[in-house]
Amino acid sequence: MTTTSAPPTKTPDDTTQEGLGARALRVLLTQRIALLAVLIVVVVVWFFVLDAGGYLTASYNFDYMSASLINAVPLAMLGLAELLVILSGRGGIDLSVGAIVSLSGMVFGFAYGEWGWPLWLAIVVTALSGALLGAVNGFLVAYVGFPALIATLATFYAYKSLAIVINDQSPISTPPIQQLFSITRSVELPLFGQYVPDVPLGLFTFLLPTVVVVWVLLARTTYGRRLYGIGTNDVAARWAGLPVRGTRFKAYTYAGLISGFVAVVTVAQFASARPDAGVSGNGMALPAITIAVLGGVAITGGIGRVAGVVLATLLIVWLNAGILLAFVGNEGSQYQLLALGAVLVFAALLNGLTTRRYGGTT
Amino acid sequence: MAEQAPRLAMRGISKSFGAVRAIRSAEISIQAGRVHALVGENGAGKSTMIKILSGVEQADTGTIEFDGAPVTIAGTGDAIALGIATVYQEPQLFPELTVSENIFTGREIRKGGRVAWAEQNAKVVELLELLGLPARYATVPVGELSIAAQQQVSIAKSLAGDAKVLILDEPSAILTDAEIEVLFTVVRRLTAAGVAVIYISHRLDELFRIADEVTVMRDGRTIGTFPIGDLDVRRIAELMVGGILSDERPHREIPDGDPVLVLDGLGRAGKFHDVAVEVRAGEIVCLYGLVGSGVSEIAACVYGIDRPTSGRMLLRGRPIAPRSPQQAQRNGIALLPANRKVEGMFSFQSIAFNISAGHLKLLSRLGLLVDRARERSVAQDLIKRLAVRTPHERQPISAMSGGNAQKVVLARQLVERPEVLVLAEPTQGVDVGAKEEIHRIITELAESGTAVLVVTSDLPEALRIADRLLVVRGGTTTVEFGPDATQVDVLAAAAGAVEEDVA
Amino acid sequence: MTVTEERAPVRSRSRILPAPVTGQELVLIGVIAVIWAVLAFRTPAFLTAGSIQPLLVATAPIALIGVGMTIVIITGGIDVSVGGAIMVCSVLTAKQLVAGLSAPVAVLLAVVVGGVLGLVNGLLIAYGRVHAIIITFGTANLFLFLGLQLFGSRTVNGIPATFEIFGRGDEGRTLGIPHAFAITVLITALAWWYLRHTAGGRHFYAIGGDAHAARLAGVRVQRRVLLAYLLTGLLVGLGSCFVIAQGTSTLDQSVGTGKELAVIAAVVIGGTSIMGGRGSVLGTLLGALLVQSVTSGVTQLGWSSQLSDLFVGVFIVVAVGTDLLRARTRRTR
Repeated sequence: MTTTSAPPTKTPDDTTQEGLGARALRVLLTQRIALLAVLIVVVVVWFFVLDAGGYLTASYNFDYMSASLINAVPLAMLGLAELLVILSGRGGIDLSVGAIVSLSGMVFGFAYGEWGWPLWLAIVVTALSGALLGAVNGFLVAYVGFPALIATLATFYAYKSLAIVINDQSPISTPPIQQLFSITRSVELPLFGQYVPDVPLGLFTFLLPTVVVVWVLLARTTYGRRLYGIGTNDVAARWAGLPVRGTRFKAYTYAGLISGFVAVVTVAQFASARPDAGVSGNGMALPAITIAVLGGVAITGGIGRVAGVVLATLLIVWLNAGILLAFVGNEGSQYQLLALGAVLVFAALLNGLTTRRYGGTT
Repeated sequence: MAEQAPRLAMRGISKSFGAVRAIRSAEISIQAGRVHALVGENGAGKSTMIKILSGVEQADTGTIEFDGAPVTIAGTGDAIALGIATVYQEPQLFPELTVSENIFTGREIRKGGRVAWAEQNAKVVELLELLGLPARYATVPVGELSIAAQQQVSIAKSLAGDAKVLILDEPSAILTDAEIEVLFTVVRRLTAAGVAVIYISHRLDELFRIADEVTVMRDGRTIGTFPIGDLDVRRIAELMVGGILSDERPHREIPDGDPVLVLDGLGRAGKFHDVAVEVRAGEIVCLYGLVGSGVSEIAACVYGIDRPTSGRMLLRGRPIAPRSPQQAQRNGIALLPANRKVEGMFSFQSIAFNISAGHLKLLSRLGLLVDRARERSVAQDLIKRLAVRTPHERQPISAMSGGNAQKVVLARQLVERPEVLVLAEPTQGVDVGAKEEIHRIITELAESGTAVLVVTSDLPEALRIADRLLVVRGGTTTVEFGPDATQVDVLAAAAGAVEEDVA
Repeated sequence: MTVTEERAPVRSRSRILPAPVTGQELVLIGVIAVIWAVLAFRTPAFLTAGSIQPLLVATAPIALIGVGMTIVIITGGIDVSVGGAIMVCSVLTAKQLVAGLSAPVAVLLAVVVGGVLGLVNGLLIAYGRVHAIIITFGTANLFLFLGLQLFGSRTVNGIPATFEIFGRGDEGRTLGIPHAFAITVLITALAWWYLRHTAGGRHFYAIGGDAHAARLAGVRVQRRVLLAYLLTGLLVGLGSCFVIAQGTSTLDQSVGTGKELAVIAAVVIGGTSIMGGRGSVLGTLLGALLVQSVTSGVTQLGWSSQLSDLFVGVFIVVAVGTDLLRARTRRTR
């Protein structure tokens, strides 16, 4: 086809006429981190105000906020798992993370609770089992060419049923498992611990290492670059000589690995290896994907940051914690659903609007 | 024929894209029932004219008249309503729907609530016969047909809409000779029925078989319209080129030596055959071929994207058979892809990201952690060498002009000093200034010892930088030209009017 | 341009369009037949009315909603909010039944409520220009919230047998065929005809094939997409009536949980491509039947009921895998 010179692309740096308000709006819409930070402040202040006015059933203070962070551990970790998978592009998504948590949780239950393996070994084996389950996803998507939605839907079903069948539908709650609950307790921070509320231990033993490792992986390693590359444009990635299939395969494997660790946390939290741990109710996959989308991850791939996922988790966890106090009885957990749904739709529409007006978020 | 208003007349048309003047004061008059060819080099303005006619773009100035009455074509709907149909090279069809459904999508023949399949199908069969396609194609999903057949379905689609003006954009590029004959038969039937056909083609020799008159465009202007009988291939080539001699080039000394890259009898079933090319270190060899000549497939094989089915490739005398771009790179072969947006750019990533993509092992510590300081200095160094206009290496590549973006993708190929650099359409969609700069860079690369193979359909470019120019036509390398070739010679050779060429 | 001679006319209807039943569907029929044969062999009681009828009744809601989901997926979208929507429609309708509402009005209520929910999805997706999966993840939560709010306490008790015509009992059958299943087959047939023989139906495929080209060809893309989700919502409403009918007099909050995945599984196993542009409601019906047969079979064979999920997963892989393989060989150069 005959061509002429393509029209030069418009540079978005035309800030000469922008007033302060318009500039702030643009930053908020395009820099997801900024928006999330603002929203967190708004939410926390809002609940503090409600607390001061006596509208809450219990006190919404820093201690409470800190204690509620225990929920952030599995949520943020799975959110990071989804981050990796969605970043890989070509419709990347993982519906099976919850089922992997269930099945790996049973593995952990057997290893630590029934066969009496040392804790460190049980954890390693559990994590590896998660990685293996994730690798199945990776193989189907990267090498066979399954659409990710379908492949992980299928493995969701398969893993979910295996988890339940593997121990005849019963959980494993032997004494070693029950004692694990202690690792979910809150601890005082060293040095300045008396000035600051106690923090759940799981934050340090599981969440923080995961956040750091994933951050380093994405921001500093060659693998991370390749992942962003294939997510941005996997045709160009091929022409540039990047190993597209291998990179994509690893993304799903790493997501499975993280899910394996989440399984350990979940078992400890419930003091029992439950076969339906990750799939009860609506499962763990949906909130994880919500966190990722809220955190600025583009569903088409190539865009997304660890900081976004972490901030999105904080927002949701503290929002949920506040909602729990704002309503009596069961109502609270229901309003959490409303909040999650509304936030997701709002975030998605925002993504759409931003792409149209400003050319995308960062 | 009595004097009557032309079916379509464009007068005083100008169109600019930003600072680029694509068309200036162009004029064209299309008569009903005639085949009107539109020729010109890449960048001459042909496709912009077509886009204006089909409503994809709007002219900045000028008027369009349809059957003598002024009309406005503000969008594709207007063009369709007027009866202007365009058939592009990429058929815009729905692969899972049948031919019949594709032709009638949006204007199904209905009876009551349902589609009148029998009636619709009868019409489809009519159209298929007109085009020489078997009637059973009507119920075949379009995705299962060959590209050539799909193109014919596209034509059928525009006919179903009672087109009064049919624009064919490079229709013969992907057709075999037999299929071209069928195409011509169809075109003749159409003109007999009063349809005006605008035929765009690079294949000048074909025009003599089908066109009634020719409009030549050059540098955004319509040079003139001539009855086909007044012309021959050479004359058309001269008009396209404007009789401008290629720039004087300093004669370059090519170091002697064995060729670095040899393609020996290389072939890939259905795409190209018996390709013979040699490139020495420090030499710039151009493969000049039009769309459909097989030239881009040759580049793909050299780089490991495709695999040849016959012949062999030698690198410094050693046979190689890269099975992936990674392997090609390991052999020291780099390639600048033809389609920057789809195959080259990581759109919203930074310049540094784009440059270091694929070279991360080199720019890393322990092969694992990206050495950002090194990446930054490599990027800055290349930005300076290639004169990329940017405040810093962190700027996203999507915010850059075509020329600058192309330089960035080119920079990527230079990170590891390749032995062989293949450049596919190196200045497509690039403004004149950046074009010059990229050509300078290519020449410098050759001078520093790289073996350069340029694959291009831009003739002035090929002539400006090539030490040797090989014309690729019909899937194989044909004539070779030295540095003294003129544009007209090469154009004529590529269009098939070479004396040595036995038709 | 007219053809002057009388062409050998295009013979029968079936020559005009591609074959009504695809290879994949034939395979599905075969697989279902094999499963039924194996089950009949192992458990002679399987081929009795008492076994087959509940199977058909159980298939009905999934297959019915699957019709809407098929169309949605054909257009290139998806709807994961169906489970939540089932909850809302069920609880609302069940409560009205307890309050004494008659069957026809209750069905109407359910359908209207479902339609409203579907409309919400449709508007957001068609006009909001956001990926369907994200929007429907969001509305899934919203519907869940709504449903739980409507539930108030834990369960709805004392639901009368108003919907017994859709249920498993004798009142739910005529000539041995469960009404719910018959209605489902009827609606599937209507949808099949619509998708095959009307311009609007074919436009769904066009949109899934290439939404941009469809718009250029004059297809009202946004309207069609809206319609797809609206239709799914309406069918969710009707399907919820079936779900209530198949349950006990108590409806608890777990109603609808996981149903969206079951419906998507049925659609995918039935041969509809998740990428859009291709699919058939007949396949979905067969897919739902297959999944239900597996579930029933597992129970009949005395295996853990959870194994049925494992089989569903395997079937999805096999169905899509063979489809991928065929697509690879089918592609033109």
